[in-house]
Amino acid sequence: MTRTRSTLRPLRGIIVGFALTAFLLAPISAARAAEGPTAAVQQTADAVVAVLADKGLSVEQRRHKVEEIVYAHFDFETLSRLVLARHWKELSPEQQKAFVEEFKRHLSVTYGKNVETYNNEKAVVIGDRAETQNDWTVKTKVIRPSAEDVLVDYRLRKEDGQWRVIDVIIEGVSLVANFRSQFQEIISRDGAAKLIDLLREKNAKGEPLKS
Amino acid sequence: MNHPMRLNFRYEWLLLLGALCCTMGCAAARPGSPDNGNDPLEGMNRGIFWFNDQVDNYVLEPAAKGWDKITPDRVQKSLSNFFHNLGFPIVAVNGLLQGKFVQSASDVGRFAVNTTVGFLGFFDPASGWGLVQHNEDFGQTLGYWGVPPGPYLVLPFFGPCDPRDTVGLAVDSFSVIYAYFIPYYYTFGARAVDIINSRALVLREVRQIKDASFDYYVAVRDAYTRRRAALIADQNDLPQNTQDELYQLQEEQ
Repeated sequence: MTRTRSTLRPLRGIIVGFALTAFLLAPISAARAAEGPTAAVQQTADAVVAVLADKGLSVEQRRHKVEEIVYAHFDFETLSRLVLARHWKELSPEQQKAFVEEFKRHLSVTYGKNVETYNNEKAVVIGDRAETQNDWTVKTKVIRPSAEDVLVDYRLRKEDGQWRVIDVIIEGVSLVANFRSQFQEIISRDGAAKLIDLLREKNAKGEPLKS
Repeated sequence: MNHPMRLNFRYEWLLLLGALCCTMGCAAARPGSPDNGNDPLEGMNRGIFWFNDQVDNYVLEPAAKGWDKITPDRVQKSLSNFFHNLGFPIVAVNGLLQGKFVQSASDVGRFAVNTTVGFLGFFDPASGWGLVQHNEDFGQTLGYWGVPPGPYLVLPFFGPCDPRDTVGLAVDSFSVIYAYFIPYYYTFGARAVDIINSRALVLREVRQIKDASFDYYVAVRDAYTRRRAALIADQNDLPQNTQDELYQLQEEQ
């Protein structure tokens, strides 16, 4: 078979997509800039790419700045609640707070590594649409110079007058759904405290990627 | 020359069919619960998944790393183009089978352009001319016409799958043109290059997914299932019922 079905073949798009999460918000064509959620994605993207392209900064500085921008435009609390779904209420307020912090840290440790390997990826907004729950989806395409394009959708929700990202959907795979499916089993089996411990453990050894 | 090659393809097909029958049998025996993403064979699947992961860790990834060291990115990209181009009959035929006539015609045009102007497919000028790469296979064709995927299935070496896509794999293996012209021991070599090269293109990404996941098996299962559904629907959107279920905060329910 020419279209190789190696262990990872059918997942190539997703694999690549997941890894792109740090520069998902790469430059977005100014033509589509509008008010509201699309503008929010646009502005975030512009800010992130300005940092990524700034070779005057060290990797650490760039990473830190990208983190700041992303933190401001992602609603990690809602994202965490959606990820934990029915289990959210089983957590004590302290556990909830800890989970949000550690999960945010986890995403940032894992995907922040991509700052080092930014390779002129560009993203264009290819559409946007109103959703139920008063959400908004902004559809983008990440164009990579030497690889296949990746479709990335952002789901945004308005909180205190500001549109913020509550999920990222890469090639049909939702970040919220993917973590939910993993966490559900861990919580049912070992409890929420164990999950938070696991997150802490992983974050503690999360070092920048070498190769 | 012709004989051993045919044998090779029959063999592969039988292998898949065998795996399918065996797992269908098991699947029938144990009905799945909705909680585990239609995975009644989770125990067996996890075993095979673990085996595949070992193959990846000890054979495929090291080979791909070596390959990555000695091969420039441009060469890797060109090889990837070349193999994609050879896979054109699968894409074109399955587009046709789903009634996507314009898309299928574009795939034929793409093949013609890339095989000639693109030097046997090593380059991809067609994309620049609007003849973009599509993603179709027989598993998607079956899904398009309403065949359900069936229980999640991990195949040895092939990885994540389901009965529908297993049939798809077997059927698609007949549309590989070079296999009809080139003796099997060359196609073996070609496929090895294809596999290692494809793996080399996602070295960092796979490492990252493994690092990011808490249950790699579940992460891959979820991703595979959703990705296939999105490919069949030809869009990145989640189905509305999935959206309602995903994005409603518990307090509001």
